[in-house]
Amino acid sequence: MILRNITRVFITVFFLVFSSLSFADSNSPTSQVKSTVDDILLTLKDKALDTPTRREKIRALVNSRFYFRAMSQRTLARNWKKASPEQQKEFVSLFSNLLENTYIGRIEAYTDERIDYLREKNKSPKRSVVYTHIVTKSADIPINYKLAKKGDQWLIYDVVIEEVSLISNYRSSYAEIIKKDGMDALLAKMKEKLKTADAS
Amino acid sequence: MTYYKLTTKIFLILSFLFAQGSLFAETTIQNETTNILVAKAKSSESTKAPVEEDFTEDDEDIIEVSDPFESINRKIFSFNDKVYVYALKPIARGFRAVIPENGRVATSNFFSNLLAPLRMVNASLQLKGEDATNETFRFLINTTLGLGGLFDVAKKDFKIKIKKEDFGQTLGHYNVANGPYLVLPFFGPSSVRDGVGLLVDGAYLDAVSYIYDDETGRYLLVKLIDIETTLSLDKDTYEAIKKDALDPYIFIRNAYIQHRAGAVEK
Repeated sequence: MILRNITRVFITVFFLVFSSLSFADSNSPTSQVKSTVDDILLTLKDKALDTPTRREKIRALVNSRFYFRAMSQRTLARNWKKASPEQQKEFVSLFSNLLENTYIGRIEAYTDERIDYLREKNKSPKRSVVYTHIVTKSADIPINYKLAKKGDQWLIYDVVIEEVSLISNYRSSYAEIIKKDGMDALLAKMKEKLKTADAS
Repeated sequence: MTYYKLTTKIFLILSFLFAQGSLFAETTIQNETTNILVAKAKSSESTKAPVEEDFTEDDEDIIEVSDPFESINRKIFSFNDKVYVYALKPIARGFRAVIPENGRVATSNFFSNLLAPLRMVNASLQLKGEDATNETFRFLINTTLGLGGLFDVAKKDFKIKIKKEDFGQTLGHYNVANGPYLVLPFFGPSSVRDGVGLLVDGAYLDAVSYIYDDETGRYLLVKLIDIETTLSLDKDTYEAIKKDALDPYIFIRNAYIQHRAGAVEK
């Protein structure tokens, strides 16, 4: 009886110690995502920077947290293995630029809103999801970051906005273009899109 | 038995000390652990470069969309695009310029509150008791304390959040499939199922259609104010999609299907 109580206390204490440590873990998926997003928002608000410098800084931050190779592979799925190494390389580079533009454009629109980090769910030692809300005056917008662990870094390989997974969406869209016109046509379209985005 | 007791005791003391240490010297211990973690990660990295994982088959789910009317849909899509660009959006910009943001938020709250009965009925039809109760309370609180729905007091002070439900979701809840994807003139992306849902909601559950039963002109005007308010608060989502997507039609279609699937599941 006493033994059982002691064991219970032991388990409780162990749990408390363990949970306090894991909570404070600055390497957790949430704290890593938060630190990058915070840095991006600070850079956006930094009035001292001129536009090209600011863009460059944000680009570097986005690059450090987004797992563009993983995103490219998930987007192309079966088509990744069919593509030549050159096509793969070109796709990763074009796709990273497109995603960067999309992400930066959107986060710029929401610079002044509050972001709540709700919780994280570790699906396996190398996969995690961080659930967040952007709180605007008229609505809460749910945004989930899907993360994969590479070395000691948790990297974003998908962003799910209001139940819409960006990668699933790109995958279906790009698969249709590849089916109709082929891989090279897709790459040409991506290049075209980047050109018009840079011009505007 | 005694041996077991002893080890438990030692464990207990050790963990107690550890707990105390972490309580009193929280910051240092945390920093140390972090450093150890970082050092570990670094050492394992230096011994062998991290292998590039293969993501090509990682939870792959292609969105299945049935779109037999694609060519007509695309025509309506570009018609809607013109309506948006040349009529709806300029008016929304006018709203932004003339009405302060708080005023537009209040207007949007007001219209949202009018739809509370619609959400309540649909939650009930899906036997979601808690959601139906929440919507009922939201409606009562916001109509009274929130001055006719202008302020979302239920969310702010009572922490009861809105949960969108409509008849399309109710049908989906009972496993009615989307059917073909449809782009409706003025309304935008929909499906056969959600189009039916829209008709049922509009005919039976929309408070505005009850108030202006015989006055089509006024009804449309009120609906227009509702839509323009929403657009004025939106941060140019459609423009961003048009700018970034290789094929905005496909992007919006797939986003719509995914979004609705998520809404039905919730």
